[in-house]
Amino acid sequence: MIEVVNPGRWTTIQDRGRPGRERFGIPPGGAADWFAAAVANRLVGNHLDAAVLECTAAGPSLRFDSERVVAVTGAHAADIETWVPHVMNRGSTLEVGAIGPGLRTYVAVRGGIDVPIVLGSRSFCQRGAFGGGFGRPLARGDRFAAGAMIDGAPLSNAWPDGHRLSIGSPWEVRVIGGPHADAFDRTALPRLTAVACRVSPELDRMGLRLQTPGVHLQADEILTTPVTGGAVQVTPSGEMIVLLSDHPTTGGYPVIATVITADLPLLAQARPGDTVRFREVDPAEADRAWRRLDGWLQLDM
Amino acid sequence: MWQIAAAGDRALLVTISSVIEPAVLAQVLSLDRALQERRPHGLISTLTAYGSLLCHYDPAVIERDGLAGEIRAFEGRLDASVPTGSVVAVPVRYDGPDLAEVAAKTNLTTAAVVELHAGREYLVYCVGFAPGFTYCGVLDDRLVLPRRSSPRTRVPAGSVGIAGSQTGIYAVESPGGWNLIGRTDMRLFDPAADPPARFKPGDRLRFVPVT
Repeated sequence: MIEVVNPGRWTTIQDRGRPGRERFGIPPGGAADWFAAAVANRLVGNHLDAAVLECTAAGPSLRFDSERVVAVTGAHAADIETWVPHVMNRGSTLEVGAIGPGLRTYVAVRGGIDVPIVLGSRSFCQRGAFGGGFGRPLARGDRFAAGAMIDGAPLSNAWPDGHRLSIGSPWEVRVIGGPHADAFDRTALPRLTAVACRVSPELDRMGLRLQTPGVHLQADEILTTPVTGGAVQVTPSGEMIVLLSDHPTTGGYPVIATVITADLPLLAQARPGDTVRFREVDPAEADRAWRRLDGWLQLDM
Repeated sequence: MWQIAAAGDRALLVTISSVIEPAVLAQVLSLDRALQERRPHGLISTLTAYGSLLCHYDPAVIERDGLAGEIRAFEGRLDASVPTGSVVAVPVRYDGPDLAEVAAKTNLTTAAVVELHAGREYLVYCVGFAPGFTYCGVLDDRLVLPRRSSPRTRVPAGSVGIAGSQTGIYAVESPGGWNLIGRTDMRLFDPAADPPARFKPGDRLRFVPVT
């Protein structure tokens, strides 16, 4: 068993989420930085569907009552070396410590974190208060077991530097225009991509708010539509909300552009005060960017 | 003409119309059914709301333009009849924290507000925003009011609210800006149930006052 000695700021159990259940109003969920979570699983030899811990801003302390291979990826962690497998001895304690640069760090345990599957996933859904083993973020004294989601041997070396995303502001994030491009005038997206956006302190797994002092966007009202992760919504006050994993399934704000799948991990790591710059790309570049990350995950190491 | 627009690199948003009307919802639901029955290769899942439908797809299997073409092929060929399922009774205690204010703003008595709200059948246009949240329409014109100027941070599960021309039911506790006029004990979202949400778009319901 693994015992939570200190839960950290906001630590939840996440896997690849439960996409496909949006019709019940259920957010897709899953690790906000899907790439770092996948690498953590690869480092310990897990199936990529295995559940990991998503740690935010300040990481947890975890006590192991039997020997386990673990790996910590994503944002920098003060108290443990990241992107490399570690063997936790029986009775030892894993300390993640303060997190940053970057916001979210992932802890994979060989075998995956074994909590009940709810609606197809082990991910904690905050809005519905279900999943994630406890229906809430981890708390002191919580105990959980490692499972059997094993797909091979742990890696013997660190994950190569050249196959990681660089973590730190300013974040350059690629977008595809729309789907509500018609609600804006033609100059809106070029004006947005020409300026630096600032990440506001109001931020969670549902989304992050961006302020753009250099540009004020206005849009026609729209009728509520389904929305996707990465959607850049423009509110009536001209502020922007970019949707992350736990986003509401529908929205009434027009979406000027949508972040490509390959760059969602960057947004997941942005901290309050950081700078985000958007760049418009075509579907071919989005596809190449995704294949690049997927290719790294498939490499034999 | 349907609008089909990219929603990022893995989804397409099909907008059939931007008005809240039974006939529009019927078309959207009919397209949804057609896509389930004759699922284009590479289509992963769909989601509807009011006049639009989102298609998640795998770009490694089908390209955006190819999927858009397959969706477009349904335009003008759907049998879109307005849903006519049975009407579900939703028991409501009309004691919401905004009932008196709604009455004052609409120049009605609270009894008249209840009578108008409970006095008609509603169509479920969308389940979304939060787990199980059920958007219904449309309200009697006399009950149309804007949302509250400052949203509540916590609205209890089961709360029945009105906003604009719509009425909705909060299925789980969440923040919210609708004017709350009542509350139901009916459980609208249960993660252990299949399906987990009590209602789906196209369902019909009626609010029944209880004490």
